[in-house]
Amino acid sequence: MLGDKALKDVPKNVIHPNEELIKTHCSYCGMQCGMNLRVNTKTNKIIGVEPRYEWPVTEGKMCPKGVTAYQQTNHKDRLLKPLIRDDASKKGTKEGFREASWEEALDLIVKNFKSLQGEYGEDTVSVFSGVSMTNEKCYLTGKFARVALKTKYIDYNGRFCMASAAGGSLRSLGVDRGSSLPWTDLHQTDCLFIAGSNTAECHPTSMYRVWEVQNRGGYLIVVDPRETPIARRADLHLDLRPGTDLALANCMVHLLIKNGHIDEEFINQHTNGFEETKELVELFTPEYTSEITGVSPEKLIRAAEIYGKAPNAIVMFARGVEQQSKGVDNVSSYINMALVTGKIGRPKAGVATFTGQGNGQGGREHGQKSDLLPGYRKITNPQHVKEVCEVWGITPEEMPGPGVSAYELFELMDKKEIRGMYLLCSNPAVSAPNLNFVRNAMKNLDFMVCSDFYLSESAEFADVVLPTTTWSEDEGTVTNLEGRIIKINQAQKPIGESKTDWEIQIEIAKRYGKGKYFEHLKTAKDIADEFRLATKGGNADYSGATWEKIEEQNGVFWPCNEENVNGTPHMFLDKKFYHPDGKAKICALPYRPPAEEPDEIYPLRLTTGRVVYHYLSGNQTRRIPFLKDMCPEPYVEIHPELAVKYQIEHDELIRLYTRRGEATYKVKITEAIRKDTVFVPYHFGHKESINLLTNAALDPMSRMPEFKVCAAQIEKL
Amino acid sequence: MKKVLYIELENCIGCRSCLAACTQCGGHEERNRNYVIDVNPFVDRQTMPMMCLHCENPPCARSCPVQAIQVHETGAVLSAMTEKCLGCQNCTIACPYGIPKFDVEQNLMYKCDLCIDRTKDGIPPMCASVCPTDTLQWVTEEELAVKKSQFRLSNGMMASMEDPYLENKTNVHVSLPGILEGKEKLF
Ligand code: SF4
Ligand code: SF4
Ligand code: SF4
Repeated sequence: MLGDKALKDVPKNVIHPNEELIKTHCSYCGMQCGMNLRVNTKTNKIIGVEPRYEWPVTEGKMCPKGVTAYQQTNHKDRLLKPLIRDDASKKGTKEGFREASWEEALDLIVKNFKSLQGEYGEDTVSVFSGVSMTNEKCYLTGKFARVALKTKYIDYNGRFCMASAAGGSLRSLGVDRGSSLPWTDLHQTDCLFIAGSNTAECHPTSMYRVWEVQNRGGYLIVVDPRETPIARRADLHLDLRPGTDLALANCMVHLLIKNGHIDEEFINQHTNGFEETKELVELFTPEYTSEITGVSPEKLIRAAEIYGKAPNAIVMFARGVEQQSKGVDNVSSYINMALVTGKIGRPKAGVATFTGQGNGQGGREHGQKSDLLPGYRKITNPQHVKEVCEVWGITPEEMPGPGVSAYELFELMDKKEIRGMYLLCSNPAVSAPNLNFVRNAMKNLDFMVCSDFYLSESAEFADVVLPTTTWSEDEGTVTNLEGRIIKINQAQKPIGESKTDWEIQIEIAKRYGKGKYFEHLKTAKDIADEFRLATKGGNADYSGATWEKIEEQNGVFWPCNEENVNGTPHMFLDKKFYHPDGKAKICALPYRPPAEEPDEIYPLRLTTGRVVYHYLSGNQTRRIPFLKDMCPEPYVEIHPELAVKYQIEHDELIRLYTRRGEATYKVKITEAIRKDTVFVPYHFGHKESINLLTNAALDPMSRMPEFKVCAAQIEKL
Repeated sequence: MKKVLYIELENCIGCRSCLAACTQCGGHEERNRNYVIDVNPFVDRQTMPMMCLHCENPPCARSCPVQAIQVHETGAVLSAMTEKCLGCQNCTIACPYGIPKFDVEQNLMYKCDLCIDRTKDGIPPMCASVCPTDTLQWVTEEELAVKKSQFRLSNGMMASMEDPYLENKTNVHVSLPGILEGKEKLF
């Protein structure tokens, strides 16, 4: 049961004989549900899970991924020793690996990276990272790339996830904290306007708060091409064509202005850009917008009326709007709704994105992004560079410049400008768009290292695979989708010879002759202390978020510094935004269609997304028996009328193809999708990857690929 | 304070976390004991959990020739006692909802025991602990009474099951779809 009442009446936990409970959080999505790992005190092994009822965000609740997450640690597929593949012709397969010692593997890595760098320059080695790991690891990876490897080419899988949300928030609000308010506000608002989020499957433990809004008599508005489980019960489902969000959001602003639902005082005092925006959205009448989006004018009018009238409302969005070649504009245009109505900067009203990866928030703030340094500092800002150099003990001249985004790294590999890659915490051989190109670029690398705890599809392209630890074998902090910094605890010692990613990077740094910058970091806590210092004074200031404080207060919302000693659950309460003049920006954003529109040869729209049973590339969840049983393979969702047109039936195998690739999928007939759109989940590897078909058209600001829409065709087999 | 399992069908998103969590209860030998059904999979995403309702005069126990199915003092209808169960499957057939499952290899029935390890001490069962949508709730009798008075359908029927009971009186309570019908909106 919900909220504050429940917290007074927190159930006890069951502790079985010879077991102890280790408090931590789920390894997967940005919800970071609280959980207790059950550890057998005789074997010191993780054997199960017990709800963590006292965790205020999720109160013991977990989705099936969370419930079974513990099964990753002692899984039979765990890599226990480093692997080396001597025969490069076997790249792209699982074949040819032999077990090796850490000594041999690390020496080989340093020898090859150094010889490549000697011949082609330091930037020829790249780092491709991820944000399903702690802040401490994310921070160290940025330092490792720039100080040890001395390369400017570092980027991370958040480019496929949160980059557009970040870009939009920065432009509109001057700061990128995914949510302007804590999740414990959600169920208390009067209207949730949720665009491009399959919340029920991607962030399931938000759902009891979502339903509570309706149970209280509030409204739920969902914008999605599919009737997802959250759209099914929405008061209003705006079933738009994929890739047309910008028109829909402009129409909302048009109607809010027309109906007098704007807050002029707020606009005048706290925002810029209203007049241009007003002029631009003039065009977006319900009728005009209906032509573009396919949503009826009546629904558009009703949605704007509900949002406009709601005393408090929260605008929420996710990858559906963000993974587009205009993702940043989509985000800013939805934020416009909150800015013109002044429904932001107070409890129960604001804007939020649903962060995809466990540490999608923290991991993007601290220097894994090609142009960022810790604390959300810019690598192009000399003052910022100086501040970080002081912590790192290097000179500003030694700091590499800005690099390129994740997908562009593969383009540079293809051009041989990048010849080496150090890959960790990510599986781009499944998760990147336009996979035929990406897999080929990886295959043609001169030397590739992959650090993972399972042999992922990407590891199949590596020359050396390093066995790293799962989340349960290390400690550190992550920042959940609220912007709350929380603590992950170690429940078991690393199995086999696996090492944490931070230990591995320090070992390599030493061999690179850069030991003096890293050797003082002996524990995750040491890294945490240096990391907090490095964020001090940045926008994402973690300097006051000590592990002790996190423990005491059930997490700490950033910024947490001398001014906000206990952190900042609600942003903008003083109506001060993070642009130099303290004002937010209402953005005038002309509509543009998706990069690829349907035509005669490719008449359908293809969109992709998650299912509740799998996480990202599926490298973890496809190995968990329960999750695999529930969703063993991908499928293509097709409306019955479309199926009739193509004369195909439920469960029949069809060929789905685009300009970039093709794959064979089983048909799943459902009325819960538009007639002009097909959907395929993206968690599968090899021939089953839908990303063989997706379009790498990048957003000009965030460099986010357009996963969510491209033109496709079906062929009956 | 005595609490009961209450099921609000309308909330279900079909995540099957309840099933995954069922395996985690101490006495459950890592096997899940209930079902989640896709109501009309070609049409929409409506799903519903099919849980043992812990009948007050349980047909499963009454049908058992050797009294292998005991009723706990809390009202929970326990899984068959392994030493007694004959594997005749009378219970599966007798249960109006087909709840008791059957282990062919061991020739034994197993069913939901309402996580008796937990609920005997007032701790919520695993399914209701994890259910992300509050489809499965562990509520006090007072909270249940509020739910029942709230969910009345326009056709005069109750959204919450009450007298007359569909089959017989149960310790678990279910709301039928329609909980938002007649809900007064805030504005
Ligand atoms: S995957 Fe996300 S919603 Fe599911 S249990 Fe883990 S953190 Fe919670
Ligand atoms: S856990 Fe709850 S929402 Fe998920 S399937 Fe079970 S009853 Fe439905
Ligand atoms: S629902 Fe079925 S299994 Fe449960 S107590 Fe009633 S008859 Fe027995």
